[in-house]
Amino acid sequence: MDRRNFLKVIGGVTVIAVNPSLICGNLYAADGLLYAAYEKAQLVDESGKPIKASSLEKEVTYIFNYPYASTPCMLIDLPESTNQNIKLKSEMGEEYVWKSGVGKDRTIVAYSAICSHQLTHPTRNDSFIQYVPKTKPTMAYSSSGVIVCSSHLSAYDAKAGAKVLSGPASQPLASIVLEHASDDTLWVVGILGSDKFQDYFKAFKPEFKQFYNGTAEAKKLVSISAKTVKLTQYSKELIQY
Amino acid sequence: MAISRRDAIKFSGLAAIAATTVSVHADSNGATTASKRVLLSPAPVPAAKGKRVVIVGGGPSGLTIAKYIKKGNPKVDVVLIDKRPVFMSGFISNLVVTGVLPLDFITHDFLEGARNGNYNFLQATVYDIDRTSKRVYTNEGSLKYDVLVLAPGIDYDYSKWSKGDIELENTLRTKFPGGFIPGSETLSLKSKIENLEDGSVFVQTVPGGNYRCLPGPYERSCLIADYMKRNKIKGKVIVLDENPNITIKADGFQSAFNKLYKDYITYMPSTNITSIDPHNQKITTELGEVINFTDAALYSRIRGNKLLEIAGVSKDSTFNKGEANIDPFTYQVIGDKNVFCAGDARPMGFSKSGNTANTEGKIVAANIVKYLNGENLSRANWKSPLTVCYSAVECDPLRAISVHAEYSYDDAKKSFGFANAGTMEKWEGAEGLAGGKGLKEWGNGLYRDLFA
Repeated sequence: MDRRNFLKVIGGVTVIAVNPSLICGNLYAADGLLYAAYEKAQLVDESGKPIKASSLEKEVTYIFNYPYASTPCMLIDLPESTNQNIKLKSEMGEEYVWKSGVGKDRTIVAYSAICSHQLTHPTRNDSFIQYVPKTKPTMAYSSSGVIVCSSHLSAYDAKAGAKVLSGPASQPLASIVLEHASDDTLWVVGILGSDKFQDYFKAFKPEFKQFYNGTAEAKKLVSISAKTVKLTQYSKELIQY
Repeated sequence: MAISRRDAIKFSGLAAIAATTVSVHADSNGATTASKRVLLSPAPVPAAKGKRVVIVGGGPSGLTIAKYIKKGNPKVDVVLIDKRPVFMSGFISNLVVTGVLPLDFITHDFLEGARNGNYNFLQATVYDIDRTSKRVYTNEGSLKYDVLVLAPGIDYDYSKWSKGDIELENTLRTKFPGGFIPGSETLSLKSKIENLEDGSVFVQTVPGGNYRCLPGPYERSCLIADYMKRNKIKGKVIVLDENPNITIKADGFQSAFNKLYKDYITYMPSTNITSIDPHNQKITTELGEVINFTDAALYSRIRGNKLLEIAGVSKDSTFNKGEANIDPFTYQVIGDKNVFCAGDARPMGFSKSGNTANTEGKIVAANIVKYLNGENLSRANWKSPLTVCYSAVECDPLRAISVHAEYSYDDAKKSFGFANAGTMEKWEGAEGLAGGKGLKEWGNGLYRDLFA
């Protein structure tokens, strides 16, 4: 069963898989196989006001939940332009292409914040995964300006589709497909790459009870807008080394 | 093969079961008809729908290999065999025996792993392996394999202490278990620690060779001392180390011993034990020192699990007796490419830890999938496993130090060494607190990878 059918059956929701080159997304998969479109949602701040790309603080990890109510994603405005047309490979060997970041200087990226290694992710209590700014050292990799999961020290290249740089992770973080509108607002439209959502839903049922009143709520699809806050607001404690 | 089938049957408990039946006929093989009927009957697993991989040993290595073979190719039929009804991890167990985390934390469900990983779990004891007919014999019946994976882990090697005295070895195993093969030993250790009182002298030994969980004995010493401190018990922990220095994270442990547990821990490096009197609870060293103790975790040297001998695939390594006789790059048994050995039974000098076995298991699983597709495995297929491990040094608040490393092969020395290694050994500041948080999430990540 391919991933597209799998999602249709398992998720019980309509996931429209279209070749992303047909939509105005800024990322695309080579053959559309590892791309899943979800309901388009606008990134908004805590008070519900649309977030403007130009207002993002550089090198700060922001978190929003998408495409499900409980699946956290990272939004980062990098200090320099991202690389382009990065060829990536999932752990099952499927190849896809990550086109670029968005924004005026192609500096804005979004990735799933569920570590592709063993599903470590930000919760309200703590976060082991985050973008490490260029000025801060990390044990996980020889240089900073990378995404690090400090649980088992996997480092991902923030400017190249979250490609694995070091550590035990065997595939990139899934990319969140962003759109940057002409009024400087940001929208999310789909997931590119191999996500770990089904494993995640299986593994964290007690956590969903604690934070989302159960799995059904946790699995609700995000609609219209996604609240975006700094990771420091999202999680009480950040652990990074 | 190291022992014959006949011997294996003699030693197995099944002969005894058969002896209780009314009519017992020994056949020409020495097995009774009743026992033979059970032993040679098919094991209760569904008929293989594709090529079958049988994995013996459901520790971090076997569990990872089972799951990732199915992920790599769902058409491969996988049967994981373990003799235990319940999984308990060695990693994190020092925090359980000292009451910091509940038993639940390290106790897991084999059936959950099988359900989520879509493989078969067979709770059975393997007593023989016939590599000619590619058949594994268990107390639940036998089954054929196309590829066999042996991940049976370690056993203790008491020979240095017992010099062949089985009664002494059995007394040491029972009274002062090392606590590095999880299960009853873990529970024994937990109650020993709960029973500490004023005047207690607890001995923790550190063996030579490449023993399982290098930081384990030092971490445990810290945590027992911490337990005494927290519970206002005037006791001592004596660490008798066969090695000349702390074997890993030395700065972190040394400074914890000095700064946190000066009044509790006595560290004695380069200590060769010449005799142990388990009844009078007395240890004598090569230098003539006599150490009296009230309780102990006597961690002996280790060896490869004897299942490797049963399969006829064992060989003494540079470090330990009876480890797997495999090609270090492909994990295939020398002379029998259908048999792979992984986990702590491997002869390479990798750190014998759950995390190493987990990262290695993914590489081995990917190679087995390739091998079943007709690919010949070679050194080109080798990838380094990763070792990431945390050790707690203090409980309240939890502080931990860590090490992370890969391995590389030195062609001149013909051995593996650490590569890209780093440590975080400053337990005192924010780093140590972060390490404490990291330790728990590190463990939970592993359990997720093994079972969810």
